[in-house]
Amino acid sequence: MNLSELDQDRLAGKLGKAMQFAMETIVTAAHIDQVDSLIDISFAHIDACFYSGRAHLDFVNFMLEHDATLAVPSWTNNGLVALNDLSVRDPLASREMDEARQLMQAYVKLGCNPVWTCAPYQLPDRPQLGAHIVGSESNAVSFYNSVIGARSNKYGDYLDVCAAITGRVPFSKLHRDEARAAELVFDVSKLSREILESDLFYHLLGHVIGRRCGHRVPAIVGLAPSCNEDDLKAISAAGSSSGSVPLFHAVGITPEAETLEVASQGNRVEQIIELDVADLRQARTELGADSGRPLAGIALGTPHFSFFEFERLVALLDGRAIHPGLVCYLTTSRHVHQQAQQRGWIESLSQSGIRIITDTCTYFSPAINGLQGKIMTNSAKWAYYAPGMLPVEAVIGSLAECVESAVSGKVMLDRWGES
Amino acid sequence: MSSVVLRIEAQVLIPGWASGTALVLDDTLSFWGGFDPVQGEIVDVHHPQYGLRVGGSVLFIPESRGSAGTPGGIAETLRNGSGPSAFVLGERDVNIGVGALVANRLYALEIPVLTVTLDEMAQIRIDDRIEVDRQGLISVSR
Repeated sequence: MNLSELDQDRLAGKLGKAMQFAMETIVTAAHIDQVDSLIDISFAHIDACFYSGRAHLDFVNFMLEHDATLAVPSWTNNGLVALNDLSVRDPLASREMDEARQLMQAYVKLGCNPVWTCAPYQLPDRPQLGAHIVGSESNAVSFYNSVIGARSNKYGDYLDVCAAITGRVPFSKLHRDEARAAELVFDVSKLSREILESDLFYHLLGHVIGRRCGHRVPAIVGLAPSCNEDDLKAISAAGSSSGSVPLFHAVGITPEAETLEVASQGNRVEQIIELDVADLRQARTELGADSGRPLAGIALGTPHFSFFEFERLVALLDGRAIHPGLVCYLTTSRHVHQQAQQRGWIESLSQSGIRIITDTCTYFSPAINGLQGKIMTNSAKWAYYAPGMLPVEAVIGSLAECVESAVSGKVMLDRWGES
Repeated sequence: MSSVVLRIEAQVLIPGWASGTALVLDDTLSFWGGFDPVQGEIVDVHHPQYGLRVGGSVLFIPESRGSAGTPGGIAETLRNGSGPSAFVLGERDVNIGVGALVANRLYALEIPVLTVTLDEMAQIRIDDRIEVDRQGLISVSR
């Protein structure tokens, strides 16, 4: 392996035991990936702050005890609990909840920027086109690669932290030009404008792409000019749930896909898949068929709600109250929460009966009480994961459908997804 | 009396000595979500080996499933002493490798992670007696 002099000093322990451990982990990852060189990174999004057992705490405590510092700006993903809201905890798992909080605090001590969000790309000062970075949470990896054109593989727990400490990663896969070429095409141009301009469409499209693209890099052609970052977030999240899509290209929209030829780097694409309404209906059914049970609640904000989504929600709800008897959760980042607060939206939505939570998410957290039975969501990712983690069944709808369902107390779906 | 019936020279991802009885996974497994690291038990209800405990085995994993939470699940089961004594993979899986490396360093263990070809793995039978050395030599007795 070609290690710089500094890398060799790091590996030999000349910069302390924490750096040595981190460097050994990076070099081992390069050995496993069968690459012989490392590159510098400029940013990391850390997932190891999400508690999954005592080993997580032992790892970061080792780093702290040996005076580890971070080589690059490092932002935190969601935690298991809400650090600023003690009521968000599981009374049955008190020790785990305490350790989850300790873990989050340890990463602040290590020097992370405590943004606690799975949508860090919604915050200012995000990485630029071509930047080599470390992403960990699957939707963020996909968004960074696809929508911003920054370069990241999907880094697992510990490796993300070791990369942030050393500022180095193996020069492999999506860090290299050739791994970023589109290999197959999803053509959506036959779908109606009404569908292409619906927020739900992008969740269903992401689900279909995740199911069908395997390990290939997909390009999408035929999207409407209305396609915005919330829509691209939906593709990122849904594709990374039903499958593994760390990079996609939206031709004419995303930065490495001015044309299909550019996106495919001049190579011939292997396959073109034309999507029709039946594909979307099937995706909707896969994400939760209507069992006829009464609606119990609404879950919004997976990945975290953006400022623009707040604006749409406030307009759609128009001051109406959530139906009594329903629980309605919305998750967002502290940053966007503050922006929404300045507009008076947090107060008005809370008065309508929506519980707004930061730092964590509702689909996995045992700390969120009250989500059981039939839950409606605007997120394909939530619909994909929650039924395996919580005692819930999911039904997916557009944001407008979720709002009308929340107000009326029963599932209200538009026609195109149903008939 | 069992005797050595097979020797395989594996690729070493993480070196270590180990012995145990062979356990071969019939399907991919997520070590975050599909696995309980306290009991070392497969808890994914869709998995054909649901309910099986992997503690002390040499665990053969033909196909891996990429998940950012995998290293945490691996490190946690090794910390608890409920995990396998060695991993033998069909693919070079960074997440399993990093999980084992971190647990080895934090808890002074020496759990090896190796790779073999799928043809080699197909020769392994459940409950074969397995020994692994630091150079990656796998000795199979039955």
